[in-house]
Amino acid sequence: MNLKRHCQPNNNDRKMDDTALKFDKLKHTYIPGICPLSQTLALLQAYISQSCGKCVPCRDGLKQAETILKSIIEFKANEDSLKSLKDLLTTINQTADCAVGYGAANTILASLDLFKDEYELHVFEKKCSSYNLDCAPCVSYCPANVDIPGYISLIQQNRCDDAVRLIRKDNPFVCACAYVCEHPCEMKCRRNILDDAINIRALKRYAIDHSMRIDNPKSNVETGKKINIVGAGPAGLTCAYYLALMGHKVQIYEAHKKLGGMLQYGIPNYRLPKTELKRDIDMIIKHKNITVKTGVKVGSDISFKKLKDNCDALFVAIGCQVGKKIRLSGTTSAVEMLGLIGDGKLPNYKGKNVVVIGGGNVAMDAARSAVRCNAKSVTVVYRRRQCDMTALDAEIQGAIEEGVEIKTLCAPKKIKNKTLIATPQMVSVFDKSGRPKVVAANKDDIEIKCDVALLAIGQDVAQDFSKYMDDKVFFGGDCDYGPSTVIKAVAAGKETAVQIDEYLGYHHKFGEIIDIPDANPNCRDLIGRSEISTVAADKRIKNFKPIEIGLSEEEAMQECKKCLRCDVYGCNHVD
Amino acid sequence: MFMGVIMSINITIDGKRKRVDENSTILDVAGDSIPTLCYLKGVNNIGSCKICVVEIKGQDNLVTACNTKVKANMKILTNSEKVIEARKKMLNLLMAGHDCKKCKSKGNCELEKLAKKYGVKKSGFNGHAIKQNKNPFLSYDSQICINCKRCVAACKKLARNGVLEAKRGYVQTPFDEQWRESDCESCGNCAAACPTGALSTKNDLKYTKKVLTTCPHCATGCQFNLLVRGNKIVGTEAVDGPSNHKRLCVKGRFGSFDFVHSKERLTSPLIKTKNGKFRRASWDEALDLIASKFLEIKRKYGADALAGFACSRAPNEDCYMFQKMVRCAFGTNNVDNCARVCHSASVAGLAMTLGSGAMTNPIGDITNDVDVIMLVGSNPEEAHPVIGMQIRNAVANGTKLIVVDPRDIGLTQVADIHIKLKPGTNVAFANGIMNVMINEGLTDKKFIKSRTEGYKELAEIVKDYTPEKVAKICNINKDKLIEAARMYARADKAPIIYCLGVTEHSTGTEGVMSMSNMAMMVGKLGKPGCGVNPLRGQNNVQGACDMGALPVSFPGYQSVKDEKIIKKFERAWKTKLNRNPGMHATDVFGAAINKDIRGLFIFGEDPIVTDADQGHIKKALKSLDFFVLDDLFMTETAKYADVILPGTSYAEKEGTFTNTERRVQRVRKAVELKGNMRLDTDIFIDLMKRMKYKQKKMTSAQIMDEIASVTPSFAGISHKRLDSGETLQWPCTSKRHPGTPILHVDKFSRGRGWFYPAKYVPSAELPDKDYPFILMTGRILYHYNTRAMTGKTKGLMQREGKSYIEMNKIDADKLGIKDGDKIKVSSRRGSIKTTARVSYKVSQGETWMPFHFPDGYANILTNAALDKYARIPEYKVCAVNISK
Repeated sequence: MNLKRHCQPNNNDRKMDDTALKFDKLKHTYIPGICPLSQTLALLQAYISQSCGKCVPCRDGLKQAETILKSIIEFKANEDSLKSLKDLLTTINQTADCAVGYGAANTILASLDLFKDEYELHVFEKKCSSYNLDCAPCVSYCPANVDIPGYISLIQQNRCDDAVRLIRKDNPFVCACAYVCEHPCEMKCRRNILDDAINIRALKRYAIDHSMRIDNPKSNVETGKKINIVGAGPAGLTCAYYLALMGHKVQIYEAHKKLGGMLQYGIPNYRLPKTELKRDIDMIIKHKNITVKTGVKVGSDISFKKLKDNCDALFVAIGCQVGKKIRLSGTTSAVEMLGLIGDGKLPNYKGKNVVVIGGGNVAMDAARSAVRCNAKSVTVVYRRRQCDMTALDAEIQGAIEEGVEIKTLCAPKKIKNKTLIATPQMVSVFDKSGRPKVVAANKDDIEIKCDVALLAIGQDVAQDFSKYMDDKVFFGGDCDYGPSTVIKAVAAGKETAVQIDEYLGYHHKFGEIIDIPDANPNCRDLIGRSEISTVAADKRIKNFKPIEIGLSEEEAMQECKKCLRCDVYGCNHVD
Repeated sequence: MFMGVIMSINITIDGKRKRVDENSTILDVAGDSIPTLCYLKGVNNIGSCKICVVEIKGQDNLVTACNTKVKANMKILTNSEKVIEARKKMLNLLMAGHDCKKCKSKGNCELEKLAKKYGVKKSGFNGHAIKQNKNPFLSYDSQICINCKRCVAACKKLARNGVLEAKRGYVQTPFDEQWRESDCESCGNCAAACPTGALSTKNDLKYTKKVLTTCPHCATGCQFNLLVRGNKIVGTEAVDGPSNHKRLCVKGRFGSFDFVHSKERLTSPLIKTKNGKFRRASWDEALDLIASKFLEIKRKYGADALAGFACSRAPNEDCYMFQKMVRCAFGTNNVDNCARVCHSASVAGLAMTLGSGAMTNPIGDITNDVDVIMLVGSNPEEAHPVIGMQIRNAVANGTKLIVVDPRDIGLTQVADIHIKLKPGTNVAFANGIMNVMINEGLTDKKFIKSRTEGYKELAEIVKDYTPEKVAKICNINKDKLIEAARMYARADKAPIIYCLGVTEHSTGTEGVMSMSNMAMMVGKLGKPGCGVNPLRGQNNVQGACDMGALPVSFPGYQSVKDEKIIKKFERAWKTKLNRNPGMHATDVFGAAINKDIRGLFIFGEDPIVTDADQGHIKKALKSLDFFVLDDLFMTETAKYADVILPGTSYAEKEGTFTNTERRVQRVRKAVELKGNMRLDTDIFIDLMKRMKYKQKKMTSAQIMDEIASVTPSFAGISHKRLDSGETLQWPCTSKRHPGTPILHVDKFSRGRGWFYPAKYVPSAELPDKDYPFILMTGRILYHYNTRAMTGKTKGLMQREGKSYIEMNKIDADKLGIKDGDKIKVSSRRGSIKTTARVSYKVSQGETWMPFHFPDGYANILTNAALDKYARIPEYKVCAVNISK
């Protein structure tokens, strides 16, 4: 009698592991506008395919749920279908053996609430709200709607000047974004279906490195209108640029000595070389319709009211440049420290132990800058887990390579005698935000050497101008929606320019038309993703010199070749 | 590829070597060997159906020929086994939900044709169909839809409207319950694009013959086929004409044939009896009566006591014969047409300044690849819809747009600048523009010196019209005026396009001349993409004027005051002609009341509805001794006639129409109806004989030949040339002359262009405390003027059938009036009840009404204040009072 049972995975199982990776990629490739019910059905079917087949609720119940959901999607269902689906799933949840059964049931039940409007539209009006955007997913997820497939195909044809012109139609901060954009476009890149997202930011970097001299496009005749802008960060400067192209005169007031906002005073040079930032800013302020006054703080050096009365419209884009505080004495602002570095005033941390409290990009910038200011040690202290940190993974990785110690699940308690005392935390139940709460772990407090404690837990607006709300006053950028990304500020600046133009009673067109190359047939070979490389850690910590090394021509052309031209293929739109 | 040069490359297709342009698609170069389904040339090439797939040597996957460009040395196989297999599989998938035997599109479906060709059998209808069919003209049934999106593309790219939405598996159309509220214009360009009939017109389009003709509504002159089944017109089919390029609007597509077959058609001559009712009569009786009455008036009071109004919707040949009748048989120059009340100011004004009163550049030239369009007093999306679609297209392709109009017309949504000026202030506006152009050194000094005269005088006047002063007069922002001047002047190619908002004023002619002043000052005449372009109204109002249905012009605008010309026509027409210049139609009414005009023949016009001050018109018609009307229907005006004659419509005769760009296009007979109607030319010829003028009977083609013989600008035009496929814009001075697209190229028709020294004069009747609002009038998309034709199409009446007045919200709130309220509107001339439409479309103190609707005729209120040159009434400005 053979009592040996089959406990080892067989050949098929190993192959299925490979196939399952495709599921993983597909989660990134939903184009905007897809019907959420079709995704819910796909998810349900994935659960069903994992059913072991033992118990009735999962094996038979989920199949029934699938039938009902299909009928809803095909506009064949009625009110009873919704009710019977809900009842069925509730029962499966209460009776299924394992997480496949009750996990499926709960997920689909949650979707009935999450997508209630969509279910009702399908059932009662026999309609689907799915829509087709006139652009590829990368374009629609870019807050500024830059024509990404367009510029990739221009780079591929060695037309880097035209690529830069094309980007500037929607985003004048080409160089800055080539270095620091958080690239929401890459998160939705459909190349993921085959291999990996295209390294779009790296291609933008390639374009700016290989473009010669370009000029601003021809602008409209003078309109006679004047707009004042407070703040020369990415939102303010972008707004000024597009208003200038429309023919309006723009006067910018900037409190700092230099222009650029957080790009100059927040992001260190090793991440965004100021020589590159200058390329973007110079192109904007050289426009004949734009004048700039620096070192002028609106509200103290010049009255807000005077500014408002002296123009046809006013744009407030002062950002969020003041660090938030917590009840912990002995800390200083990381934002302030980075700001001083932006003016060329480096702190001397020789022999000092520096602690940075926080987990965002500002915290990483502060930590890595501290390393370069000769700190003896740099420790980042963060209350949650590393995967909860909002900083880009590449930044965290870079910090670790440069010798920064990341202490997670650690809540700062007190600073005393050049020591930071912190209480260890543990993860607990998920809260409403979908993240696990952290609570005290009931372990002993830890002590971290701390001569300097930099607080990087978020930023606030410096001045509240909201009492000057008026039809002619517009707010945009970080000061409007809280600290966020560069590209979002650029989009806000452009959007505000259009709104101001409409408020003044126009619909001015701006920009130039650039000939986009025809789409090549898709390259279907599976190809690995070329990455930006960095200078070796031990070299780069010695100074603030730029650390990223752009793609070679071979790498760039290979990346370009992979673009699936989703503005042409697989996009259910009409040109 | 070198810049601008298209290279030729070698490819191999099905084994044969071919030399082709490198910018072509595989479909372009393959000829007929590749079948297509979702492809629609110039509209849709998205590669959805995969029927046009071909094999490329060296590539594993098949590519769609419709959107794949050829490459050097490409080897293409269009019908290999692999390709045929793929096509069959695609058709199988497409046919999975279709049943040709049970389908309404059987025999008329591109999918059916392909399935038959590739031997793919039906599968059977399945699934739930989405039906959207509340629109009176159009319906959609997803059951036979193949999601090719040709309809969505047609709406987005041809009509440039974009109201169809491609969903995943069906199309969301605006034909459901909300059809009236949607932005859909029911133009039907979508239905024309559908290959299976899933999106189709509601009329049954099975036809036995097609007749190529020109649309009878506006002067865009769209070309289409009338689809005829037996002796009935059942629909239309758009054709790639030079002015419409396969587009039609709702009136052309759906409103151009119901009226032909209407039961209300006059089918017999009618004579008014003593008790005011009409009785049927024979042609002999009717024509003898007319001849005797007119000859009597002529004998007692002189020939100048007679007058005739020609029909600007009738073909050139009809109009020519009509004016010949008035001149030769009646013996007077008192002949006119309805251009009097719309573009007479253009005809007179541009004739004075440029030497020719017509649109200077073709439609395609001013809507393609121009930098800026200055649109003044024109609402093409409603009055010239297919031109409106082409302007939308230009704007979508980057053309800047300046809209000068007192209302927020549709195009203001995409206009770079909207100058929302006070009605009646056009001359001030134009002088203001010229003030800026001179002050900023933007004028074309070389052009002014070598090609014009009168600049100094005008420049002196214009000095006074500073932006500040003009801003006050026009109630606009001075910065917008300055910017508009700069934009227009600095552009390379910029046409002025204008319409009745410029002409229908007591200073209309000066308004028109101010348009040519602006263009001349910056040298934008006589070259492509520029010019001064009046959009003429009726389908043949240009032709009616060209044919001399004008009191001061013979055919071809040859002057009735020129003794040499008069002698020429006396020789040609073999009769003595009257040397007195004729009376303008708008003056005829006053003259009738004074008994200076006693006999009137109106051909195809309804002045009770269309002319200003209805009370005045009624009084005039009642005063006539004898009044004859030749028309298709018993119109409001017909009720006043002594004799009514039944004429024939455009679909029942041969002839030509001249559209707004001076293009002479053919109109062809499609049906012959029962009844005692006659060709209008035959009516005139018969009457001429009975009035003792020997006119031999002529066919339409023969009449055109006679026109050519007496009219130098038409000398080369003939039905023969037009029927052979040529398209001709006059002047066409000889049989080999190809026609003239752009006027005034090297010199103006009068030699040098004249800067007319126009000063701003306020409108005749401005608001005061008794009548505090300005009333403007105009037309809407769904109807043409009197609705004689469009009113017979049910769907058009369903969309818009009732009178209304647009009011500003702030004004309405002050009077306690809400949107939809029934209100009373009065002027010094009369009073009507109508419905309020409240919004911000018009400015405070201003209102607007369409003039089509009998339940509240706008022309009861309007002021017949006439322009001094063209005698055109001030439809666009009069004073009214509004109350609840």
